[in-house]
Amino acid sequence: MTKVTLQTHALTKKYGETAALSAVSLTVCEGDIYGLVGRNGAGKTTLFKCIVGLAKPGGGSVEIEGEGKNLHAARRRMGFMINPSFFPYLNAKENLDYLCRVKGIATKSEVERLLRLVGLDGVKKPFKAFSLGMKQRLGIAGALLGSPSIVVLDEPINGLDPQGIIDMRAVIRDTHRQTGATFIISSHMLAELDLVATQFGFIERGVLVKEISHTDLHEHTKKSLIIAVNDTEKARTLLCAQGIENITVHEKHLVLDAHLDRSHEIARALINGDVEIYDLHRQETTLEEYFIRLTGGACHA
Amino acid sequence: MRKLLRGELYRLLHKKSLYICFGVLIAAYSLLAFIRSGGFGEESVVSDAINFFNFLPALVGGFLFSAIYTDDLNSKNLIVLVGYGIRKTKIVVAKFILLLLSGGLVFGLMPLLHAAVYAALGCAATPGQLGMVYIVAYKYLLLTMAYATLSGIVAYGLQRTTFAIVAYILLAFNIVGGLVAAAGNMLLINLQPHLLSGVTDRIIVAMAGGGFPVLPVIEYAAYILVAAVLSAVVFHKKEMEF
Repeated sequence: MTKVTLQTHALTKKYGETAALSAVSLTVCEGDIYGLVGRNGAGKTTLFKCIVGLAKPGGGSVEIEGEGKNLHAARRRMGFMINPSFFPYLNAKENLDYLCRVKGIATKSEVERLLRLVGLDGVKKPFKAFSLGMKQRLGIAGALLGSPSIVVLDEPINGLDPQGIIDMRAVIRDTHRQTGATFIISSHMLAELDLVATQFGFIERGVLVKEISHTDLHEHTKKSLIIAVNDTEKARTLLCAQGIENITVHEKHLVLDAHLDRSHEIARALINGDVEIYDLHRQETTLEEYFIRLTGGACHA
Repeated sequence: MRKLLRGELYRLLHKKSLYICFGVLIAAYSLLAFIRSGGFGEESVVSDAINFFNFLPALVGGFLFSAIYTDDLNSKNLIVLVGYGIRKTKIVVAKFILLLLSGGLVFGLMPLLHAAVYAALGCAATPGQLGMVYIVAYKYLLLTMAYATLSGIVAYGLQRTTFAIVAYILLAFNIVGGLVAAAGNMLLINLQPHLLSGVTDRIIVAMAGGGFPVLPVIEYAAYILVAAVLSAVVFHKKEMEF
């Protein structure tokens, strides 16, 4: 059975009259790369702030590795990056050395390993002279310091160039593979998260609209062949005789999730079997369309 | 707490502007002493210390306050510390200890620097005079600590560097003290002996006389304690700024 590593129970947070989070119950299992997807201002950062203890929730609770009371101790096993925060006059190594001392990490090689991992080894200039991408990289290194069991990254690819995005993805994948750490990553770029995440949570206007696995998400967004015919039962029988299976019938439509490359064969078989075809087209729900459909629903809720 | 202090000391020792600031201070101090050297009298080593050290809470103290308290605000480091699970009260206490250590070091070395510069200029201090210079330095250390701890309330409560530094300046230049004393006068209450400058004056007068100033020390400790408690309270109440 998969162990739950982080949970929020009906987490609520209000700023004045605005509900930043409304009863958010999120579940992250051990070893997951959990992608928290939402538009700007959807509540991703607020949720992260509540998880890492930077904001006090108005209601609900947070549970980290089964610990719901002594969260101070539990948070020491977490690494996080919510806006890279470092001393501007220290360089990358000095900033990580500072964190090592604060966190009581003795190994000096850890700093060098992480700087190599994020491509900042040998950079001597102070943090204030860093580009946005370099700051993000150092932020990731800071979050990974001491090999935490849970890593929370808020918009880690913001400000990165295409190569930086690819590198960052590799860093997350490699670290996940090597350490087995649980990652919780927020982004408004679903397509990018789709390349690393194993689990998704969709948040809109402070409401966690849906949690879904990577496999299930792709089940919802896969391509299909839609065929509108005059007689669906006859059409289905004909296609089954041709070895085409997994046919779903929706009113006057047949929906095929496979055999997309055999559309000409399918059409010929139906015509030869005296089935009238009104329409035949491929349909694909992109991840973005799925997200819009999902969050659009929440907007009207 | 020890880990946090180790980290903070590492950070301070790697802050290059710290060395520049103290280098400039020593150079300016030596220059001022050199200018003064034409008119040295027997008690110059003590009276000049009283005059020169008067600026230390604003200059050295201001720098220490900025390095210890407001650097965290500028760099958003409080987010890192709190997010790592360090209790806010621990942060407040650690900062105070850091202030005590760094202030103690600077104000402990200042009398030695003063005596060395004056000795080099032909005005060597007697052991008694050096003791007096230390008592003067001690007064300004106490003032610096109190000003920084009081300004800490603003630093933690508002989490804005500018407001925190303005608060420190208003205290270090005795503007707040002057206003409070004036308000007391209007109400025909003499608050001066109980203000920080008055309390520290009473402490050093008693110490110079060889006594232990029990009441002023209690008053001073109350200032520090109340400021520290208020800092912790407002820090707990204030959501971390991003």
